[in-house]
Amino acid sequence: MTKTIETGPKAALTRRSAMVLALAAGAATSAAFPAAAQAQAKNLTVALTADAVILDPHAANELSANIMFYHFYDGLVTRSPELGFQPGLAESWQIIDDMTWVFRLRKGVKFHNGDELKASDVVYTVERLKKSLMASFVANVAAARAIDDYTVEFKTPKPYAALHMALAEVLIVNEKYTKATGDEQMGLKPMGTGPYRLAQWVKEDRLEMAAFADHWRGKAKIDKVIFKPITNPATRTAALLTGGVDVIQDLSVRDVAVVQANAAFKVVTRPSLLNLVLAIDVRDKSPTIDLPQNPMKDRRVREAIVRAINVDAIRTAVMNTFSTPSDQYVPSSHLGFVPGLDFRKTYPFDLGKANALMKEAGFEKGFTMTLDTTNNRYVNDAAIAQGLAGMLARINITLNLNLMPRANFFGYIRVPSDKSSFIMSGWDTPSGDAGNMYSVLMYSRGKKAGYGQANRGAFSNEAFDSWIDKADATADIKKRNEYLQEATRIAVQEIPMIPIHYEQDIYAAKKNVTVVPRMDKFIWAYEMDVQ
Amino acid sequence: MFGYLIKRLIQMVIVLWAVSVLVFIMMSFTGDPTYMMVPLDATDEQIAQARRILGLDDTHLVQYWRFLGNVVQGDFGRSFVFRQPAMTLILERLPATLEIVFLAMIIALVVAIPLGVYAGANPHKASSKAVMAGSLVGISLPGFWLGMVLIFVVAVKLQWLPSSGRGPTQELLGMRVSFLTWEGFRHLILPAITLSIGTLAILMRIIRAEMVEVMKQDYIRFARAKGATSRGILFKHGLKNALIPLITVFGLMLGDLIAFATLTETIFAWPGIGKLLVDSIYRGDRPVIVVYLMFVALMFVVVNFIVDVLYAFIDPRIKIK
Repeated sequence: MTKTIETGPKAALTRRSAMVLALAAGAATSAAFPAAAQAQAKNLTVALTADAVILDPHAANELSANIMFYHFYDGLVTRSPELGFQPGLAESWQIIDDMTWVFRLRKGVKFHNGDELKASDVVYTVERLKKSLMASFVANVAAARAIDDYTVEFKTPKPYAALHMALAEVLIVNEKYTKATGDEQMGLKPMGTGPYRLAQWVKEDRLEMAAFADHWRGKAKIDKVIFKPITNPATRTAALLTGGVDVIQDLSVRDVAVVQANAAFKVVTRPSLLNLVLAIDVRDKSPTIDLPQNPMKDRRVREAIVRAINVDAIRTAVMNTFSTPSDQYVPSSHLGFVPGLDFRKTYPFDLGKANALMKEAGFEKGFTMTLDTTNNRYVNDAAIAQGLAGMLARINITLNLNLMPRANFFGYIRVPSDKSSFIMSGWDTPSGDAGNMYSVLMYSRGKKAGYGQANRGAFSNEAFDSWIDKADATADIKKRNEYLQEATRIAVQEIPMIPIHYEQDIYAAKKNVTVVPRMDKFIWAYEMDVQ
Repeated sequence: MFGYLIKRLIQMVIVLWAVSVLVFIMMSFTGDPTYMMVPLDATDEQIAQARRILGLDDTHLVQYWRFLGNVVQGDFGRSFVFRQPAMTLILERLPATLEIVFLAMIIALVVAIPLGVYAGANPHKASSKAVMAGSLVGISLPGFWLGMVLIFVVAVKLQWLPSSGRGPTQELLGMRVSFLTWEGFRHLILPAITLSIGTLAILMRIIRAEMVEVMKQDYIRFARAKGATSRGILFKHGLKNALIPLITVFGLMLGDLIAFATLTETIFAWPGIGKLLVDSIYRGDRPVIVVYLMFVALMFVVVNFIVDVLYAFIDPRIKIK
């Protein structure tokens, strides 16, 4: 069985141009740059919420660092702003058999130091990742082998139809340079095939990058990009308004009106990938519920909870309308999304029905339990928790709130989650594949290695597991999608978790800057332009 | 003097050791930093591998013992997050903090001394009372609020000064500093003013109180009797005697500003060490927190030592033993 998947560059182009949401207008020419100088060299200054911690793409996975990684490095596969997957350093790939993939590298791709990209660099990258903190990036690669200088063969540990999507997170380093530089210096001196190379990094002050002239996609339109970390939201807005920066990340909700009212600036928003979800404990006995039986084992109680939560009220009252109620566990771009299926339509907010369900299940008098969540990780997390407590009180569930800083939270809720009954946390799947989320969050615990390791509510459903098993046994992406859709239907029916909303990403920029908001939040100057 | 130095050194080592123990105990309650580093879907093997890479696979006691052993050899450990030596992280951010702190201290002294002396010498004048009332406002103003107002008024509305960031820097004695150029200095002004207000107000009140005290002393009366100028009386006889408590407070405040300029640094996106501490606490980055607090403790010990020596210079009655 041999299949060839090839995405033509044309298709990619039209999609991308449709994705450029932001308008370009020459209305406000910044006083700082005379028009003539602007024509010669384009500069862009972007204010981020935090500085990158490290510039080694195999040593961290947090937003500010990721933004830098994708400027300096490329993957075999590239992710579009809308989470489409396109050829990157690999120009095409083939599935040889269920567990063997062959990637053909683009010829003549240059690293910043002039070296040409070879298959050996890809093999080295996989080996280095396996030994790193970010080993999970290559969990679906059993081995990589160079067939010749431009061909790499990947073996997967099991059939995995979405390997190319997972590989979009694997950024390729140069073998010779990386070995010579050493792990510690790799964090300071990135060197890849990406559209920009590092010019200067003064920590907590500025990170400057310059366009790499020999980049394989063609030289970037903006010659110099400066990222500045400005943590305080009001200061970030002030920096934009005073002309210190051109684009800011995470415009504070209360500043949206001010910026919109100013003709020289624009506000750009888009739903992010981060789905805020409530994990429900379905074990026989739940840690924080003082009853012999866990009421939430009963599906009717779970449905009652869903129907008692008014997601639209959270959107308007807590989020100032800057959220998108989630219809499923993953966005519509993902494998496993079922078109037309909507959690909110299946279980609309209905207190009467919710109370009736509680009565039917024999918990008319309600019960008391604790919600564990963060107070500094998600947008308005503490306020959402308070809102939930108020809503569930109306079906007689008393919700005690256990709010903690994120430094404590992720260790606290970790499986076996023996202190938790009800957990609110965010989950994003940049791989574009619901299977990643389902196998980790909803697959029965302890059944198979690498499955159910974050299944905090201990949900266990034979049929659900078997669809995941099927999905993970085929190398055909269409079939994988169908199997995962079946799993989605079961999850929406059984309610192991309640999806609440996607946070909204809000950017503000000068009018003359073309901003392309990405689903994965990774601001990428290569897609941007200054008029 | 030599014996005194030795005694101080021993004290210092004990203080540093105690701080390291305290921080290690505190950090053992704040959850396992491994979970902050690995992805949420990490398997047990991946977590175990991360622990090994970060050196967290041993018990706290073993980790502490290893830390002590390394410190003795001058190695203060590596940040979990930055994967760089923790001491380097602190030292590369220190000049930025020192810059705003020193400017803030200069502003505080230049304003506080004349006003304090004036208010102390003329305690009953209405203008003195106004100065004192003003100092109360200065003490009560939260720094972050003042910073926001300054940004809004001076940077956004009037557009006189930049709103945030450090501006261009030059090399001076191996450190990056920004006060050498006008553009760099402009970036310094607002953070330094914000940082100075609280200190300024406290220094002013202390000078005033001391001056009121001193001006009642016999030697001031004698000085008047012998016909000294009122300026000479105020600054030569009055202020010099009022300085001793001021120096103690000044030393402590200097240490305080360097160690905890956090809020000001965050508001003005100033790349100093205070922000590093907050970020490290947020990220559970224990090596940086430990070294930071030890560094702060060391600084306080040194500042206090300098204060003691200064006493002897200003007041010949005090001897260092």
